[in-house]
Amino acid sequence: MQRRDLFKRLSLLNERTTSPPSLQLVEAGVEEHTDPLTLSDVLHLLRRMGFGATMPQAKLLVGKRAAEVVDALLGADEEPDLPSPGAWTDTATENPLGADLQTRGQIYNTWDQNWKKLGNWWLLEMANDTKAVEKLTLFWSGHWTSEYSFDETFSVPQTLYRQYKTIRKNRLTGFQKMALEMTVDNAMVNYLGGTYNEVGKPNENYARELMELFTLGIGFYTEGDVKEAARVLTGWKSSKYSDEPAPNGIYGTWFNAARHDIGAKQFMGQTISARTNDNNTEFQVKNEEIGRLIDIIFTVRADNVSRFISEKVYRYFVYSAKGEADPVIIEGLAKPFRDGGFEMRILFKKLFTSKHFFDPALRGAQIKTPVEFVVGLLRQLGVTNADPQSWTGKMDQFMLDPPNVAGWPGYRTWISTNTYPQRRQFALEVIKAMSDARANSFIKEFDDYSDVKKFIANVCNYLFPVEVTQERLDFYKNSLLGGAPDYDWPVILNTPSSSAAKFRNMLNTMAKAPDFQLC
Amino acid sequence: MKRRNFIKSTAAAAVGSQVLGGVPVKAFSPFELSEQIQGEDDKILIVIQLFGGNDGLNMIVPVDDPEYYKARPTIAVPKDKAVKVLGNVYMHPALDPANIYNLKRMFEDGRLAVIQGIGYENPNLSHFRSTDIWLSGFNSIDPDKRLIDGWLGRYWADQIQGFPETLPDHPTAVQLGGTLSMLLQSPQGDIGIALTDPQKFFELGQGLSPDLDRMSEDTRYGKEFNFVRLVAEQSDKYSTVVKSSYDNGKNSVTYPKNGFIQQMQLIAKLISGGLKTKVFLVRMGGFDTHVQQQNDDLTGLHPYLMNTLSSGIGLFMQDALAQGFADRVVGMTVSEFGRRPAENGSRGTDHGAASMQFVWGNKVRSGVYGNNPDFTNLDNGDFRWQYDYRRIYADVMETWFGGTPDDTERILEERVLPLGVLQRTTSVQDAYDGKTRIEIKAFPNPFTSTATLEWNQEVPASVKIELYSTTGKLVETVYIGSVSPGRVTIPVTASASGSYICNVIVNGVSNTVPISVLH
Repeated sequence: MQRRDLFKRLSLLNERTTSPPSLQLVEAGVEEHTDPLTLSDVLHLLRRMGFGATMPQAKLLVGKRAAEVVDALLGADEEPDLPSPGAWTDTATENPLGADLQTRGQIYNTWDQNWKKLGNWWLLEMANDTKAVEKLTLFWSGHWTSEYSFDETFSVPQTLYRQYKTIRKNRLTGFQKMALEMTVDNAMVNYLGGTYNEVGKPNENYARELMELFTLGIGFYTEGDVKEAARVLTGWKSSKYSDEPAPNGIYGTWFNAARHDIGAKQFMGQTISARTNDNNTEFQVKNEEIGRLIDIIFTVRADNVSRFISEKVYRYFVYSAKGEADPVIIEGLAKPFRDGGFEMRILFKKLFTSKHFFDPALRGAQIKTPVEFVVGLLRQLGVTNADPQSWTGKMDQFMLDPPNVAGWPGYRTWISTNTYPQRRQFALEVIKAMSDARANSFIKEFDDYSDVKKFIANVCNYLFPVEVTQERLDFYKNSLLGGAPDYDWPVILNTPSSSAAKFRNMLNTMAKAPDFQLC
Repeated sequence: MKRRNFIKSTAAAAVGSQVLGGVPVKAFSPFELSEQIQGEDDKILIVIQLFGGNDGLNMIVPVDDPEYYKARPTIAVPKDKAVKVLGNVYMHPALDPANIYNLKRMFEDGRLAVIQGIGYENPNLSHFRSTDIWLSGFNSIDPDKRLIDGWLGRYWADQIQGFPETLPDHPTAVQLGGTLSMLLQSPQGDIGIALTDPQKFFELGQGLSPDLDRMSEDTRYGKEFNFVRLVAEQSDKYSTVVKSSYDNGKNSVTYPKNGFIQQMQLIAKLISGGLKTKVFLVRMGGFDTHVQQQNDDLTGLHPYLMNTLSSGIGLFMQDALAQGFADRVVGMTVSEFGRRPAENGSRGTDHGAASMQFVWGNKVRSGVYGNNPDFTNLDNGDFRWQYDYRRIYADVMETWFGGTPDDTERILEERVLPLGVLQRTTSVQDAYDGKTRIEIKAFPNPFTSTATLEWNQEVPASVKIELYSTTGKLVETVYIGSVSPGRVTIPVTASASGSYICNVIVNGVSNTVPISVLH
């Protein structure tokens, strides 16, 4: 069957959830895109897989094959650690509970500062990242969520930094391994009630989210599975404060055997055997119970796990509109992922080298996340900012602090009358901060920059995801030259302060276009 | 006659002569005629979303049910600590904060309805899915059904003329803080704005209208372009009107510094200043009380939230009464589910199903709806629902905002019977159109083969008669036709024995009468 026919047939299944028939069809499937990459292909790939290419970086990649570029962007399984965000990451934290009010205030204040430092550090590392390492880590940190601030309490920033490192290290590995690591991650055990989950007093919080949000999605487990999984997960403790036991070192997760439910559990039709007190150890329970629990999910529900994760990746990197993921494409990604033992590298490579990913019908249809907007603009304009985390925060994306356990809902929730004016404000501030020297060096990064018509078309292709109309090009030319004739532009370029001012003015106008928010 | 002319020509008559447009005023009884000529234009709904799943069982406390104390050995409210309100209704003391107008006093004053057992068929215990079910107004058992917009978004997008090409002068909906909720989204775009600080919104919002026109929507890119464009336009247009309402408005009571309470304060100020918004949405988080929800002395996380909720609503009500707009506002709480009746081992409660919600305001038919939660007839450990949650929505659309049963059916994709918790205020226009409530007699009742419905009809009317189950589900339509003024008698028969709610829709207005059939 032709893809087009299948698409039509699927559309008929549920009118409400698919696009109207007039919507431009996506023709391409997940077969490999083997054509040499054009400049607009390269820009598209780096906008989605990373935070946008700089112009010099993009030029170097034109003409290469997608497979080669994607391999380079994915990087090594274990990229070297980044320089630490500061000595505070290794300092112990005093327990605020029970401390006098003033001390408690000081402790919380220190956390707050450290959490902000961590956010700023990460955002600036993102702007410097020439690969896709930080973008993929950001994606996963919105999946395996932990909130900095939740209920009436906090996650200690030191534990969030450790969680970040664990996610970064595992961003391309087997998803099953990542699931195991995250289940016993210190910040996670603290965040989703794991520390309270004890034999005889089960707490279902993490057990439910492990299946609902992290691996399977709704509909593929029973309430009984939730209850039994909670029993499997009993006994884990997170050490956060200097006055707490820390058998596995500062900010380590540890196992309290006396709090573990050693009885047999029935999970998804399988038995996880009872154990004796002798083999109720951290190592054994982690591998034989949690490892087995995850193994059952990935074996019994292999199709669901692979599709759930593939769809999540697809929505994040390709197209977020609900009701739009084509089941044929999702299965086209899920099958190699599943067959390849849930290696995430396989999934990412399949997606980013597919013809589907490069299909023109899907370009420009994503709303930039606040991090993509802020980091992308810093990176594209080659400027820096002292407090980027405050800006992403004002746009509703506080670093390492999603609104709830489901992470950021994304898509159109990013743009509201609260956040849109903040985006505009940030663009104005960043454009203003661009020095004359940087503005002129930026201008010269574009081919044919002294030909004003070609220059403006090239800037538009760089800043906007889809080619703009002639009418818009003329409009922007007017904002650059203010009605002066085209041949004035090369003359203006001889006076760097003048060309910079005019260029910044045009960027301000461009930044007001709705598709400046799209990628 | 045009509406405006009609109002002009009858306004004088309405006051003096007891006759409106030839219709004697007594025809409207027992339903109240709005004092305001344009009464139908200024109704306001405040939706308070309690995210996390509110534990309604610890709010309206079943102090005479020993099963309650068995299920909650550590976090039940003892009878001698509960606050006796009216009859055998007892509240958690946190709902009765001292020295402040609050929910308990509103109940005593006839301004609060407690709806027990609100829920839906096949309850979903996921925060996110269940929130989507509540906000979309769709309870689909199909897990793949995409719930992508809200019942209020769809209703108002339908009602606003020319939306979204032309925007009304005032925002139809205002959400306090955060990213715009699904509740206020429609297929045609967001019907409202997200607002944090009117001053800031004014400063940042001005001049944000895009320079570019709407695009064709036959591409994904075009659709997102138009979405962003609409928000930019709303930012610009509404920043001015919100600011002027804010500056003109006042508060007549002192509100303490607290996020939720201050949001209620802001709503009061905006209404007082003349903002013609129909729907306000306020959100409170923290209700996911898996752990340590309450201390032995009845303080703690959940009591704190109850205290905040009760104070915020009470102060708002007091302010509204003092400023004279209390008759125009009703409010309702929504929460994705209740908690499980039995507490867990962490002095908390896990996700449950049906629960209790509040509807408040001067135009609420005060009291307790439904029975106390039944511990002896649980569904998988959770309470069963008594009222479909959408029956309140139908009430809001039909009784409060003046929609028709057909509007409700279009918006909810199902026939839903209004709960009857709101009082209909009949405007002059409604009276002119014959859209008033009517007292219907049914006899004999119970009946064996045929019952006769009888009422006095003032104007020619279209009539549709439907039978609903006592839970509010449509069973059958038994009559469609039209009647002339005078004494109307219509015989009805039912296919099967049972108790029904007979809904007689006269000129689009629902009138219900209970009937029983014994075949």
